[in-house]
Amino acid sequence: MQTIAEFMSADHHACDEVFAIAEQAALANNWSDAETAFNKFRAALARHFRMEEDELFPTLVSAGGPAGPVLVMRMEHAQMNTLIEQMAGTLAHQDAQGYGGLSETLLIVMQQHNLKEEQMLYPIADHFLASQREALLDRMRVD
Amino acid sequence: MKTISLSTEQAPPISVPLRFFAAAPLFLLLAALMLVYGAVNPFADIHSPALLAATHCITLGFMAMIMLGAMQQILPVVIGSPMPASRLTAWLTFLPLIFGALLLPAGFMLGKPVLLNLAWPLLGLAFITFISASLISLARSPAHNATKTTILLSIIALGGAIALGMLLAHGYASGLQLPYAKLATAHISLALGGWVLLLIVGVSYQVVPMFQLTPNYPKWLARSLTPALFIVLMLSLLSLLLEPRPYWIVIVAQSLFWFMAGCFAVATLRLQSKRRRRVADATLSFFRLGMLALLCTALLALATLFFPAVDRLGTLSAVLFLLGFAMSLMHGMLYKIVPFLVWFHLFRGGVKRGIPNMKEIIPEAWMWRHLWLHRSTLLAALFAPWWNAAAWLVALGLLLQGMLLGYALLIAIAVYRRTLERIEEDLP
Repeated sequence: MQTIAEFMSADHHACDEVFAIAEQAALANNWSDAETAFNKFRAALARHFRMEEDELFPTLVSAGGPAGPVLVMRMEHAQMNTLIEQMAGTLAHQDAQGYGGLSETLLIVMQQHNLKEEQMLYPIADHFLASQREALLDRMRVD
Repeated sequence: MKTISLSTEQAPPISVPLRFFAAAPLFLLLAALMLVYGAVNPFADIHSPALLAATHCITLGFMAMIMLGAMQQILPVVIGSPMPASRLTAWLTFLPLIFGALLLPAGFMLGKPVLLNLAWPLLGLAFITFISASLISLARSPAHNATKTTILLSIIALGGAIALGMLLAHGYASGLQLPYAKLATAHISLALGGWVLLLIVGVSYQVVPMFQLTPNYPKWLARSLTPALFIVLMLSLLSLLLEPRPYWIVIVAQSLFWFMAGCFAVATLRLQSKRRRRVADATLSFFRLGMLALLCTALLALATLFFPAVDRLGTLSAVLFLLGFAMSLMHGMLYKIVPFLVWFHLFRGGVKRGIPNMKEIIPEAWMWRHLWLHRSTLLAALFAPWWNAAAWLVALGLLLQGMLLGYALLIAIAVYRRTLERIEEDLP
């Protein structure tokens, strides 16, 4: 049976995949590929944030999970969304240098965010939500 | 599971890590000066005062300075637990470390016992503060991962290395009768094979997949490698107590240790070759150079077992470990951590426009220049034990690297200050 940690970590990796394709295409000035991959990445990340913010986080907090770290995760989502908006701007202007700098920044923000979730928050969620895990995973898969 | 203490918004103020990073390049300049003012070729004799002084400039002033500063930043992210009293811990680590790291090499170089006697208590204070704060942080950490175990083992090794280092410095200064050769062997093994190697392995478990989007290290490797390295190291140290020390134990322990270290280098290079992020990146190049150097160190260390009479092979493997492996990784890490910290602390203020991105904080061109300079320094170091001119080139390389790294870090600090001033002006 899949854990929350396994399911959500796999989704992080799926986002990473399209992130890397978009970055490589933009730095090679291959703008049509960059745009396709960037849009996929933006959609995948938005979906991931929705699964967390609409399902996982509220369920975790109402089950007595830690509210502080959840708040920090939400703040980091907002940081990432700002960077993604800025990246969309550089993409529209076909500014490879600007895109590269922002995507380098986003990568570190995103990866250290993922690390904290995968190593601490998700295992805590698996612990607190053991009884309702299947139902929660089903709701998130639909999102 | 301890969830109460878990908080992820725990980054220390930017001044905490930056003061350590900004001081470190100064010690590359000093190491270069020590090498130049030493004997004709300090690399030809592993016991020369100039080599001893330059080595400690690099290990204490450069490496420990960066590692201690970076740990205060990294612990909250990788084990979810910050250091206690971050400002106080930072000052009680930074000040005695910087003075101790200046006095100890000066004491070796000038042969002045009084300087050594001033240095070792200061260094003791710096490291005891750091070790205590790290242990508290580890005890409070909710994480259960291989990195946490590895950090604990590396801190234990650091404690041993520092205790022996203090004893050695005190012994030299006071003319005590001590088994110096054995103590020095144990000090070096714990410091480099324990603290430095283990910490780098533990941090690599996290940052190698993170920066380049590589697959994770295999679970069995991450779990077993560092405990195995630590056990072999301890057995090898215990054998020092035997009189005479059976040579077969040395051969078995050293072969196992360096075989495992070599496997780690190969595993890392393989993971990096499978990275999903394919864009050029100076940190990646520094990391790969470091892993290649670790592999060469391991091969050379194995060679010294079969040619124990060739003293300079040992010198070369130590030089490759320090300059090739450890220093390459530290340069690489700095070029990621510093721009990120500047961005992070500016962005956290809530202002979203006009914050420079990471590539606008330290221009990439400087990182690539540094990589080439570092590669050239390493190339010279390969010949330094045999060829005097190469020893001079190593000193020159370290001098230029200190200047370049110092300049790059000052640019980052200037960008931070300038942007902060502009943000404050813009506020109503």
